[in-house]
Amino acid sequence: MKRGLITWDKAELPPSVFDRRLAKVRDGLAKQDLPALLVYSDVWRSNEGRHLTNYMPYWNRSLIVLPREGAPVLLCGLSPRVYPWIKSMTIFEEIRPASKLVPTLLQLCSERGWTELGVLDLARLPHEIHAPLEASNVKASNVKLDLTDDAEIAMLRRAEQMAREILTAELPKGAGLTDYQFSGLLERAFRRAGAEDLVLLFRTGDAAPRTARGSMLGDKFSVAVALEYRGHWARVTQGLPL
Amino acid sequence: MAERGWDSILLYGNAWRKDPFRSLVNFNFSGDHALARLSRSGEVAVTFSDPWDSEIVGAKLEPDFVKAFTGGASAIAGLDFMEERFVTACGALPASATADVEELRRVKTAEEIGYIQQACDLADRGYQRFAEVAEPGMREFELVAEVEGFLKENGAEDNFMLIASGGTEVVGMKPPTDRVLQKGDSITTELTPQVNGYYAQICRTLVLGEPSPGQLQSFAIFSEAQQAAEDLIKPGVTAAAAARAQNDVFRKYGYGDYTGSKYTRVRGHCLGLYPDETPHILEDVDYVLKQDMVVIAHPNTYLPLSGYMVFGDTMLITSSGNTRLNRTEKKLFVK
Repeated sequence: MKRGLITWDKAELPPSVFDRRLAKVRDGLAKQDLPALLVYSDVWRSNEGRHLTNYMPYWNRSLIVLPREGAPVLLCGLSPRVYPWIKSMTIFEEIRPASKLVPTLLQLCSERGWTELGVLDLARLPHEIHAPLEASNVKASNVKLDLTDDAEIAMLRRAEQMAREILTAELPKGAGLTDYQFSGLLERAFRRAGAEDLVLLFRTGDAAPRTARGSMLGDKFSVAVALEYRGHWARVTQGLPL
Repeated sequence: MAERGWDSILLYGNAWRKDPFRSLVNFNFSGDHALARLSRSGEVAVTFSDPWDSEIVGAKLEPDFVKAFTGGASAIAGLDFMEERFVTACGALPASATADVEELRRVKTAEEIGYIQQACDLADRGYQRFAEVAEPGMREFELVAEVEGFLKENGAEDNFMLIASGGTEVVGMKPPTDRVLQKGDSITTELTPQVNGYYAQICRTLVLGEPSPGQLQSFAIFSEAQQAAEDLIKPGVTAAAAARAQNDVFRKYGYGDYTGSKYTRVRGHCLGLYPDETPHILEDVDYVLKQDMVVIAHPNTYLPLSGYMVFGDTMLITSSGNTRLNRTEKKLFVK
């Protein structure tokens, strides 16, 4: 699960960025004459939903519904007890509890009179969502979107800069430690700096990079850091000697 | 497989749900996807989407992972969360082997119990660290960073961790925020380190400063509820009974309303290769608990006396009862 700082700094990523992204979605829906876009989101596959709404399920799964007309709706697998927190850091005003995601989605479609939905990357939906949706009376159509924009590139640059600066500063401290010990040191440094998530792989000798397993790093090794900063992933690899 | 008439099964894992794959091939892959194919004769073939995983294990690499499913299989463990394009690539729709494999996973081997004991020991030490470093003025995410660093330097592969801080306004836990810890806060955490694939959990509540009468009264209820489950759990007892034992304590003190889904999720769950394994400990789950299952009983919920509070330990079900695997003192921590 995500256990770094999840937040929305509106100076860094203003609400107007999300307005523009939703406008782009609505244009795409209009071109395909679709009433709404469905975006699947879970703790591992959260980036598309995050880009469009700033929502990231730190655990569990959710469906994001972006109507062509009207406000976005979150169908949420998490407890209603965390809805105020979700609202404080996303664009959602309407969140519906959805322990069963597809029945809740179909209820929403019924209320809105939708018989067709656009689905971002339809073929990548989990089977247990795809199968009942396909068996329903709501037709699902695949939608592809180019989600990249200047705001995203700026955030990716920030993530990459954070990964590079911290790794450069910490790397010399790894000499003589085990990969476990150095993992601990890096976790502290990155998470204190605001990393949401972190994947560390270590390489010694000619072997492929791998997760820590208690090996000595010696004085010649490299570390691959995949860092998530506010929904934006950067990957940096550096070796010692620098 | 013979009973089910299955010639081959696939055990699929992705970056979130590695557990079906790791139940057969316990390798902590770092790429997006992994697949193990098990034939009825016992042959195992492994495919990864990431070249580094493939190189380390000496297994097949398939960057276009759809191709790993060509030829299909009789059944798949992990079918429910597999991307539909992978299911389509199987040809005929395979049966789901998820429930059968999960049932096999529930009863642990001696080796698995050993890993879970190591994870419990690390959870205990991690909580000790948590209690040592938490102090007024610290931000929630800084506290989590310190604990995460401690767990990783001591061999944790991963960690499932929720936290909350504050008073009666706190209704649940979540990832850390930038809230500054204050004197009088109740700090709750669910700490769940993973060692060699296996998770163990501890839940404790820490008060910064002198606990209020409400916090003390609340903890007494949680302690009695958790003990009721610990006293009851043994082979043959249902998950429902273990939940009822805990909830009845809350009812006895007039807080039965706070045992429902409005205020809480589950009264415990199983542990193993996934931190939230089924069966969940709930009053409507009639699953009969078995020897060598590993469960946590945690009556975590909101009470108006204290706000959200947590308390629970990992237990191994033995032939005649259970053994608590955590060694952390069962108390309301005060600092």
